[in-house]
Amino acid sequence: MQKILKKFLLIFSFSLISAAGIVWACGGGDWDEADYSNFAPEAFVDRQYSPFFYNSWQSYYGTDVNDNSNTRYNRQVVEEWDGHLKNKVAVKDVNTLLFTASYGGIDSAYQYFKGKLSALPATLPDLKTSGLSKKQGETFFSYLLLAKQCEQFAVSNTTYYWDEKVPLVTPAPEIKGSLEKAFKKSRDPFVKQRYWFQLLRYAYFEELPALKADSSAGPDNSGLVTLFRQHENSFPKNSMYYRSLGYLAGHYYKRQDYAQANYLYSLCYNFSSEMKIPSKWSFHPQNEKDWAGSLALAKNNEEKITLWQMLGTVHDENRAIENIYLLNPKSEKLDLLLSRLINRIEVPSFDSVMDTGARPKIKAEDLALTGRIAAKGDTRKPWYWNMAAGYLHALNGDYVPAAKYYAQAKSQLPANDRLLEAQYRLLHWNLTLSSLKNIDGKAESSMIADLNWLADLRDQKDTVANLRYQRALSESIRILSARYKKQGALIKAECFQSGTAFYANDKNIEAMKALLNKSSKTEFEKTMLRYYPYDLADLHYQQGLMLTYQEKTDAAISSFEKAGKSAAQDMMANPFNSRINDCHDCDFQAVQTKKYTPLTLLRTIKTIQSEIAAGKNLYTNNLLLGNVYYNITHYGNARDFYQREITVFSSTSPMDIPKEFRPVFTSSALAEKYYLRAGLAAKTNAQKAKCTFLAAKCERNAIYNDLYNEPANQKKYYWEFDFSTAYAAKYFAELKSKYRNTAFYNEIIQECGYFRSYVNKF
Amino acid sequence: METELLHTAADKQLYLRFFDVVWNEQARQSLPDGLLAVKQSLRGIHITPVIYITNQALTYTRPAETDSLAAKVNRLLSRLTSEQGIQYQNVQIDCDWSVSTKTTYFAFLRAFKRYSGKKLEATIRLHQIKYPERTGVPPVDKGLLMFYNMGKISADLNAPNSIYNEKDATAYTAAIPYYQLPLDVALPVFSWAIQIREGKIQQLYAKLGMADLSNPANFRPVSAHVFKALKSFYLKGLYIKNGDLFKFEGMDAESLEQAARQVSKYLAPMENRHIIYYEISSTSLLPLYAKDIKEISAHF
Repeated sequence: MQKILKKFLLIFSFSLISAAGIVWACGGGDWDEADYSNFAPEAFVDRQYSPFFYNSWQSYYGTDVNDNSNTRYNRQVVEEWDGHLKNKVAVKDVNTLLFTASYGGIDSAYQYFKGKLSALPATLPDLKTSGLSKKQGETFFSYLLLAKQCEQFAVSNTTYYWDEKVPLVTPAPEIKGSLEKAFKKSRDPFVKQRYWFQLLRYAYFEELPALKADSSAGPDNSGLVTLFRQHENSFPKNSMYYRSLGYLAGHYYKRQDYAQANYLYSLCYNFSSEMKIPSKWSFHPQNEKDWAGSLALAKNNEEKITLWQMLGTVHDENRAIENIYLLNPKSEKLDLLLSRLINRIEVPSFDSVMDTGARPKIKAEDLALTGRIAAKGDTRKPWYWNMAAGYLHALNGDYVPAAKYYAQAKSQLPANDRLLEAQYRLLHWNLTLSSLKNIDGKAESSMIADLNWLADLRDQKDTVANLRYQRALSESIRILSARYKKQGALIKAECFQSGTAFYANDKNIEAMKALLNKSSKTEFEKTMLRYYPYDLADLHYQQGLMLTYQEKTDAAISSFEKAGKSAAQDMMANPFNSRINDCHDCDFQAVQTKKYTPLTLLRTIKTIQSEIAAGKNLYTNNLLLGNVYYNITHYGNARDFYQREITVFSSTSPMDIPKEFRPVFTSSALAEKYYLRAGLAAKTNAQKAKCTFLAAKCERNAIYNDLYNEPANQKKYYWEFDFSTAYAAKYFAELKSKYRNTAFYNEIIQECGYFRSYVNKF
Repeated sequence: METELLHTAADKQLYLRFFDVVWNEQARQSLPDGLLAVKQSLRGIHITPVIYITNQALTYTRPAETDSLAAKVNRLLSRLTSEQGIQYQNVQIDCDWSVSTKTTYFAFLRAFKRYSGKKLEATIRLHQIKYPERTGVPPVDKGLLMFYNMGKISADLNAPNSIYNEKDATAYTAAIPYYQLPLDVALPVFSWAIQIREGKIQQLYAKLGMADLSNPANFRPVSAHVFKALKSFYLKGLYIKNGDLFKFEGMDAESLEQAARQVSKYLAPMENRHIIYYEISSTSLLPLYAKDIKEISAHF
């Protein structure tokens, strides 16, 4: 809480900072270390350190981290009691009594146990039948009752709601007396040690309020240090001991003896994985002098190494590695730091997010450090250092030394470690890919196995737990595509990384169809096509789509007939309808007695066209064609006709439509042509007025399109455009001068504010 | 020193932040946070309570909950002030609201006014003064123009002071006379050091001052306001890496005077305008004296 409070003193600066550069890294939960990393710490580092594996957006790595100070040790405490009570009480009952039962509840269970209460609520455990002796039960319950009272001050509720008092509970003095008495009286070392812990914790919380005003002030009257030192050797060095030590550390910390505090925290950190998170959280050297003091307190090199590991994890991996390596090159505490060093370097910078080709800057000191230790070969896991040094060199573009480190690593790899082997393979592939120049047949053959392996991983046909392959996958796609593009092999480039522009040229589509249709594909072609996202049906649909807008209806039908499901999906609205005000949602919801698919839409166009050719129903038929050609543009109710993956599925604004296709999908010229023809064939003035109005909508769309396509507007959002006075002047003038007396004219005056404002203005 | 300033220069007027209202993800509601812990007597000092509301809290507060949020804020403030025996006539709400939270925020202000019956003052940031048609003008009695943080906090060592510089300020001053609220003004008296590593900003530290950065055992001056760390070390609880650059940004009496002169030209005349020096706390290490404050305040 204290931390957050301090932040608010500077709240304005913080909000500015986040806007300045790190926003992209804080998008929320959809960011995964595996996305940008080639280097899995799980392959090298002991699991107990996993919360401290590098994580660019959260405090701790992984999902099974318990960061709740109130519940962190619960499991352990239950286990300890269970052992002490010789498994006589069911674990769930121990759990209930320790953590959920109230003081009154515990007391009832105790009274019942003693026979002083005849009935017990069902929620409370019955220990009478458990086989606990009277003495065991008494010891257990007496402790529980006191411990429960201590929770008032020791268990903190970190969330402050609106109406309660500010929660700062000072321990009640009578609890201290009871604890002291119980501690003195207790003969059972297990329980005695717990009373000792309770007393220490009591002393810590007792002095807290006085320290808050000025934590350095006053002599230490808490008795905490004496209490600790007096009895520390009477008890085993178990978790109870280290939790007590944690309060001693906290005591020193609050009294600003940072050298002692941080040294003691490091002992707790080293004791167990449960204690690592709180100890690291509390570890805060203030000045270089107290940091040196902590190091001086360390009794041996291993204790110094723990301190250095903590400094390294929190602040400076490089400096910590240097120092630990000097103290003991075989220290397992190097492992975590090396993984963090590598993973931190891998995080894409803002520049490289913008430009995926940008190479990360690797600092010379990091290259030198990993290279030097790898070359020495005197660590516990020499292959790890060789892989790390090789990878950093590869990232830096030094492919020859990278290959040498990898070759060393390969010769040192322990057998039968699947993750480690996969990790090696991934790094090796990464180097192959990065050092690739011209891709010839030989190079292609050599890539087949790895490319298939990556595709298998992607498709979950092969799984290696914890392996981080996403970056390798996306880099493979990007690098191979770019390389082929450079070599002029457009089809291969497209197979690895698909782009919209490719499909603007029908020759490309034909060539891709030929490849997909090829009966005897080479192994490499088969592998490559595992990366291609589309199939023949998609390509036929794309061809049919473009033919539709060219009014090559027969050819379009023939393409759609080969397009499978794509051309057979029901469309959301009836594309042959029109309305005064475009309203796609209304059209989607309207009762549709006949549902159209892209294919039946085209067949209907063909029927209408033949009727027009035969001179039948010219007004209605031309109107219907006008409507359908209007609706299959951005402005109409049938955007689902053109919204496919190739042409970008989710284009809600015309600006989202790829520029290659934007002119076709936004143009109302075809619709306008048929509306004008319908107008010529119209019999009544009302019909003519309607055609003119529908043509006016096309005219207005053209104005919109001009604005959208203007180079100066390419960076604008669609809501920044102002169309309120962009009138379809040509057809509006015609409507006003010729059809003012029709019923339809009144209808549009009523319904179309845009037209109304024109009429009022001109 | 703060106490002395308060009594001699500030006419015993103090704006005091009582708590923040922040969105609590676990509780799925907006809750108070960082409640003020008063350690010294505030007797004889005129306090204007300040409540800071995060924009996120507004984002997640549903329109139907705005009214009850206002009631809760008012209830908590009444309790905290009465515990301290504080009488107050005005409340300042500090919030960097945005276009999307405008409606909720303004509804909150109206409801809060209704519940508290006090005069309300709202902070107005520079982007809000510049684009009132977009961000709206809050329904309060008075605004407090925050005349600082106008530049970009930048890793560029030659970039002008982001807290205040005359040139960046001109982008906003023209809009000041047209703002539809009487305005008090807050002037910056804070400083910070921007830690820059490999060309990127790492953090801002208000607790590092010129005295720390001028220590030749730890830093080498690169320019008048930029210092380079000579080693990796701990300092005041911060960890500094060899080669880190620290760019100091702060205000001195002269720049404060310049800011005052610049902004005062654009303010409509107003009786009893409050000039708020943000912020005089033990973390702002600026040597500022009562005499300076009186001189600067004389511009208004």
